[in-house]
Amino acid sequence: MDKELIIRRTSLSENILVFCRYLRHKEFRIGPAEEADALLAMEQLAPFDNPDIFRLSLRAVLARTRAQQLVFDELYSEYWKELEKAVDSKIKDAPEEKIKPKPAPGNFKSIKDWLNKNNPREEDIEAAAYSAVATSGKKEFEGFSDDELTEIMRIIRRAAKPLSLQFNRRKQRARHPGTFDLRQTLRRNLRRGGDILELAYHKPKKHRPQLVLLCDVSKSMDLYSKFLVQFMYGFQRVVSRVETFVFSTSLQRITNQLNKNSFEHTLQELSVTVPGWSGGTRIGASLQTFVENYGRRLLNQRTLVLIMSDGWDTGEPEVMEKAMASIQRQASKIIWVNPLAGSPGYQPTVQGLQAALPYIDLFVAAYDVESLRNNLKL
Amino acid sequence: MNHPELERLQQLLQDQAYITDQSIVLSLFLARQLNKPLLVEGPAGVGKTEIAKVMARAMDTELIRLQCYEGLDATHALYEWNYQHQLLYLKMLEKQDTSPEEMERSLFDDRFLLKRPLLQAITYHKSPLLLIDEVDRADEEFESFLLEVLSDWQISIPEIGTIRATHIPQVILTSNRVRELSEALRRRCLYLWIDYPDYDKELAIVRRKVPDIDARLSEQICGFMQEVRKQRLEKVPGIAETLDWAMALANLHIDHLDKELVGSTLGIILKDWQDIRQTQLSLSELFEKVGAISKLDVNG
Repeated sequence: MDKELIIRRTSLSENILVFCRYLRHKEFRIGPAEEADALLAMEQLAPFDNPDIFRLSLRAVLARTRAQQLVFDELYSEYWKELEKAVDSKIKDAPEEKIKPKPAPGNFKSIKDWLNKNNPREEDIEAAAYSAVATSGKKEFEGFSDDELTEIMRIIRRAAKPLSLQFNRRKQRARHPGTFDLRQTLRRNLRRGGDILELAYHKPKKHRPQLVLLCDVSKSMDLYSKFLVQFMYGFQRVVSRVETFVFSTSLQRITNQLNKNSFEHTLQELSVTVPGWSGGTRIGASLQTFVENYGRRLLNQRTLVLIMSDGWDTGEPEVMEKAMASIQRQASKIIWVNPLAGSPGYQPTVQGLQAALPYIDLFVAAYDVESLRNNLKL
Repeated sequence: MNHPELERLQQLLQDQAYITDQSIVLSLFLARQLNKPLLVEGPAGVGKTEIAKVMARAMDTELIRLQCYEGLDATHALYEWNYQHQLLYLKMLEKQDTSPEEMERSLFDDRFLLKRPLLQAITYHKSPLLLIDEVDRADEEFESFLLEVLSDWQISIPEIGTIRATHIPQVILTSNRVRELSEALRRRCLYLWIDYPDYDKELAIVRRKVPDIDARLSEQICGFMQEVRKQRLEKVPGIAETLDWAMALANLHIDHLDKELVGSTLGIILKDWQDIRQTQLSLSELFEKVGAISKLDVNG
């Protein structure tokens, strides 16, 4: 299907336009403005002795993000390779047929005219039909649907609302007119000899809750890894101040990896950079590492700690207990999300969990979107 | 690179002690020719801001810099009236017998106008290089405002009128990807991604910037940096760190790296205690890899 898009054209400029369209089907946002840019750039640099310059200049004009740049090189070589093939086969099969009338080859002016008259509607419809095709995605995380993710984000947003709306009695300065701040106004205008020129306002200061997400990615959690990733990603998107860590046998901070623009991008990044995916479990030791390395920085009386794990710990329960105790001491609340707890008749009898239980403020079950919604009663 | 214009630009940049590669030169060239802003992204410390400085020198023009930060608003980017100055002036005028109309006219005079970077760039007597640094730190509101200025090149000041740019500035924007920039801004710019340099490029940069460094030391430093960057670090060191390190060691008249020396000077290249600890633990391993590389070099 892709190959249908690769059509042999006679002049370079036309080939560039067709290439632009090809990119558009690959979810590049390219409109007439970009096409014109590409042609102008070519005009500046022609004639080409060096194919690299040709590629790089097209890339500079057409790729807008790092991710696109990476994909671009691949698409570029694919496209021109197919084009070569098309030429070959044409020579072999039908040497005289199908030679299209040349529309003034290499004439940039006429192409631009054509561009202006170009009616984009037809193409948009075509593009919409193609956009359902996924371009990339790691094997490990196949089968994510956007709907589910949106739903998760919606739930988290509602659940997190009370978190972000903790108003303080203190005031802070506001830039936009609101409550009038007499004290600041006087102070600010004092240096101008007391003529009131500038008014100051204030607004209630918001508590900024800190959320720490600790997620178990060990083997025993494999069944829920899909939900886990959605959950972590959702939180990072919705709540402004969240630090995310994953652990199996050791602890790793992944806040930065989660802060990618698209979900797909995040998945890619995670599968590359998280080493202990589906490894063994040492919850106690991992939590201990967290307390030692990040505790002082991240935990305070407003911090909410969310641990997502099934509690299968291969380490000593004492370590777990010690770590949990010190987290509880430093943080405001600990919520333990357990994917297993949803099954009827479940008792938290796992040794590790037993050790942790006294320190947990809230114990919830969640293993997919549905259960998350039910348990948070949204 | 065989295009004459491109070669000329590369030479200009090289004269300013900036080591480039094809994609950088090409993007700069196209940005100038197509008269479009250039958006430069990449990890911290790879020389994004440096590009603008070097370009300004190469083009022999003024560099006007707008450093973005959270809460930056239009007044800080465009212009402000110098209230205090105006007030003092008014008080002085009161003593002389001037009519209110005249007072008002003289009040909004050029000398009370504090020009901030964007207005400076528009009113500069030739086309300057406008660097909008770390644009991702400013909020979205400011970004939309910026879009407007970048497309119209005019600023209206109610008291004076609309000021049109006499010479359109060449614009370079940099971003560290703290926040993803809007599609609209991206579409208006050409895009350039600068990554950490490879071994050869880094070596060239070190030798260019620290000319009196020992040849072997510079090779070892660059080899070591390449390996360090492959580790999983919180803050990956950029070229700036490499140069600091090279400069420090060159000043100490050291001609080769050893484990002890690296251990005690790690603070120059790594700025996070966990990174330092982790690197110190795997120092022997790193050294083996670096050694293997330099041996290969000798054989090859």
